[in-house]
Amino acid sequence: MRLPAEGSAPGAAAATSQDVAVALDGVTRRFGETAALDDVSLSVRRGELMTLLGPSGCGKTTLLNLVAGFLAPDRGEIAIDGERVTDRPAYRREIGIMFQSYALFPHMSVAANVGYGLRMRRRPKAEIARRVEEALALVKLAGLEDRRPRQLSGGQQQRVALARALVIRPKVLLLDEPFSALDRNLRGAMQVELKQIQQQLGVSTIFVTHDQSEALSLSDRIAVMAAGRIRQLGTPDEIYRRPSDRFVASFVGDVNVLPARLEWIDGATAVVALGETRVEVPARPLAGTTIGAPVDLFVRPEELRVAEEGEAAVHGTVAAQIYQGGHVDLHVDVQEAASGRVLLRVSGHEAMARWPAGTRIGIALVADRAIAFSRA
Amino acid sequence: MNQRPFLRIFVTPAALCAVGFVAALLAVMQYSLRAYVPGSLEAGGFTLANFTALMKPLYGRVFLDTVWICFLTAFFTLIVGYPLAYALVHARNAALKSVILVITVTPLFLGEVVRTYSWIVVLGNNGFVNAMLLKAGLIDAPVQLMFTHFGVVTALVHVTLPVMVIMLAAALTHIDRDYVRAAASLGAGPIRAFLTVTLPLSTPGIIAGVTTAFAWTFSAFATPQLIGGGQVNMIANLVYQLGFASFNFPFAASLSVAGLALTFAILALLRAAARPLERLGPH
Amino acid sequence: MPRLLAVLGGITVIAILGFIMLPAVVVTLAAFNGRAILSFPPETWSWRWFAKALAYEDFGSGFRNGLIVTAWASTIALVVGAAFALALERYEFRFKRTLEIVLLSPLVVPHFTVGLGFLILAAQLGVARGYAVVVACHVVLVLPFVLRSVYVSLRNLDPRLELAAASLGAPPHRVLTTVTLPLLLPGLVSGWLFAAILSFNEFTASLFVTAQRTQTLPVALYNYVREYADPSMAAVSVLYIVLTAVLLTFATVFLGLGKVLNVEAPR
Repeated sequence: MRLPAEGSAPGAAAATSQDVAVALDGVTRRFGETAALDDVSLSVRRGELMTLLGPSGCGKTTLLNLVAGFLAPDRGEIAIDGERVTDRPAYRREIGIMFQSYALFPHMSVAANVGYGLRMRRRPKAEIARRVEEALALVKLAGLEDRRPRQLSGGQQQRVALARALVIRPKVLLLDEPFSALDRNLRGAMQVELKQIQQQLGVSTIFVTHDQSEALSLSDRIAVMAAGRIRQLGTPDEIYRRPSDRFVASFVGDVNVLPARLEWIDGATAVVALGETRVEVPARPLAGTTIGAPVDLFVRPEELRVAEEGEAAVHGTVAAQIYQGGHVDLHVDVQEAASGRVLLRVSGHEAMARWPAGTRIGIALVADRAIAFSRA
Repeated sequence: MNQRPFLRIFVTPAALCAVGFVAALLAVMQYSLRAYVPGSLEAGGFTLANFTALMKPLYGRVFLDTVWICFLTAFFTLIVGYPLAYALVHARNAALKSVILVITVTPLFLGEVVRTYSWIVVLGNNGFVNAMLLKAGLIDAPVQLMFTHFGVVTALVHVTLPVMVIMLAAALTHIDRDYVRAAASLGAGPIRAFLTVTLPLSTPGIIAGVTTAFAWTFSAFATPQLIGGGQVNMIANLVYQLGFASFNFPFAASLSVAGLALTFAILALLRAAARPLERLGPH
Repeated sequence: MPRLLAVLGGITVIAILGFIMLPAVVVTLAAFNGRAILSFPPETWSWRWFAKALAYEDFGSGFRNGLIVTAWASTIALVVGAAFALALERYEFRFKRTLEIVLLSPLVVPHFTVGLGFLILAAQLGVARGYAVVVACHVVLVLPFVLRSVYVSLRNLDPRLELAAASLGAPPHRVLTTVTLPLLLPGLVSGWLFAAILSFNEFTASLFVTAQRTQTLPVALYNYVREYADPSMAAVSVLYIVLTAVLLTFATVFLGLGKVLNVEAPR
């Protein structure tokens, strides 16, 4: 059963076709017996950066290849800028794509690589030279026109790949896990640069990644995918704070799962009992659950704190402290927890001294920001 | 710990083979400098007479003819072999790939005599081609295909094709598919993507294939002997005639030496001509 | 447009494959011809040429000689080549490059030169023109292919496997026999097969170094063709073709011939 995709603003479903850069409608694609994509519909708005997030095998790369035109759907339609492109081969769609492997033509210089798409469009030489120069300046690689790809570092190659995709002013930019080969520092810097360039140019972008922190930091909207379907579509904040199902809640960010019992539902709010504590949660995910039935409470680590005896919802023994610089991760053995462990984040360096391994502590919820899902 | 525990054991046998091979080559070179004693298999004293005898235009013509045939063969083998290599690498179906590979490679393993004989049956005056043309009414009398350059080159192309296809396919298979996809995403249709990306990137394979084809064809014997029938002579045929018909081994040796020198010269030339092209390749 | 290209491409490939198979098909037709004179299509069909070919004494002895020479040459070449390939890949030593170039050079040296060389060498050393000379010549000619085949296999072998074996207490020679050689087996077998087929079919050099009694099959066939025009030769060719195709199909399917020839990217 497919969950309805959540929109971020009222009237999202009523977006006019002029605002929609890429539209997929009922797209299915099979490989042998398996459906890599199963009846997927999605709209990417003009100028937005939409991320397809999910574990490997969820269909995100297949979706990207379908939009690019490298694959044809078995069923459904694809439109770019309002025009139906389902039957159109890749070289006639106005797309720019950045591959995971960069795929820079090794037998051409940087300038020839970047200018390739313009040459295919038969632009005059002077115009090509000018636009190549602009594109290289945009990615901060001015002056490297005559180098060969093998003479560049990984980060530089990536910028060339980006310049090559952008210089043709594509209707949609497609990025296939572009930063996975970079080390962490470089990745962070490149993410910021990409976001800036994307916003500056206003190019509609589809970004594929399995790294949820990358998705959260870059996207205007995220489509969380699993097994060929979209599980939830929304802004990063919606995905993080109001996941629509257990999968999304567990996949995006760390989360603790604690068993609880549904006490009562009143309109948009429900109350669940966690031991002696009562917790307010949104009622929507629990629609149809009987009163008294067991449910699972999903709580983010930052929404827990170490509590005094009377306030604690659960108790446990500290199993490990992991120093993270800005905060300390406390891994606590809690019997009731679904995985047997609870993770909470505590700021301040005194945490290391106050709660060493072996200490028995109580844990309470900071505020009513938890979500509960029924067990079924 | 001994860094090279088996070095002697591994290398000595190979070294012996190398020595044997070099000794054989030296034997040829040494013989080329000896005098021919007619009626005897022994060679006389040292002399340069064999090499001066080479200067006759007759031998020059055979050398030129050989080079020309090698060039034609290499060229046509490339033209015919490239599409086949491309199909071999890009076929989606594994069974189809195997079929193409087995069909292409089988002639390589049949041996020169069987292959060449088969071409005699195809090209002869009573052969397949003539029989078909006569039946179809396209000709009145059999067309002479045997004993011609055309016949020899055709058979040589057939012989060299497997090697060319293997070398081209090896180069093509190592070209990352993403390059063609990138070209397509930038607006290149299938033909332009091939011409601007795939073809340049396959240059090292083309060079390797052409060079190998040339070297192989240069030493061809059975094909020009049986199909050329004395009218089309390549160096190998001449060496054989001199050696086994006249027993003039010293002269045959000098021909071999000259042929060897020519081979290396041409290969060096090909390498030099190919160097600017190598820059097109992927590295 | 892509559809048109695909069709044209398919037709081209089929035409080329047809060209490759043409002689084989034609020769098969000729082999079954009931009469001695070639005609297409044959007027009568018969197995007689096969019977004649199989009974012909020179073909029989040629076949036997060929087997002897090939068995010795390919096995020696395999041992020498595999050992050297290991040394080449693993060790640094003096004259390494030189030795490699010398051993690979039979690929570009004409076979008639090599044959002539061994002939002259044998004469000068006073060695009789027996099997030894022929085998030595074949080993030299076939070695480059064995080297290449084993080398490709070696490249695909993860060196960490041998390190793991050593860390578990295996001395170098046990590592070799229990890890390296077993993993190289496909490359060794295809190298041997490659060498055997090439040696069995080798003609030009053999023409120079064999004598009447050591004559290999290709030489016997050549002598036959020069004298007689009947389709016995065609019958032998058909047998050859069938046998080779079967061996190669076997090699492709079970030994991954495509990878050995380097036309398939290793999985």
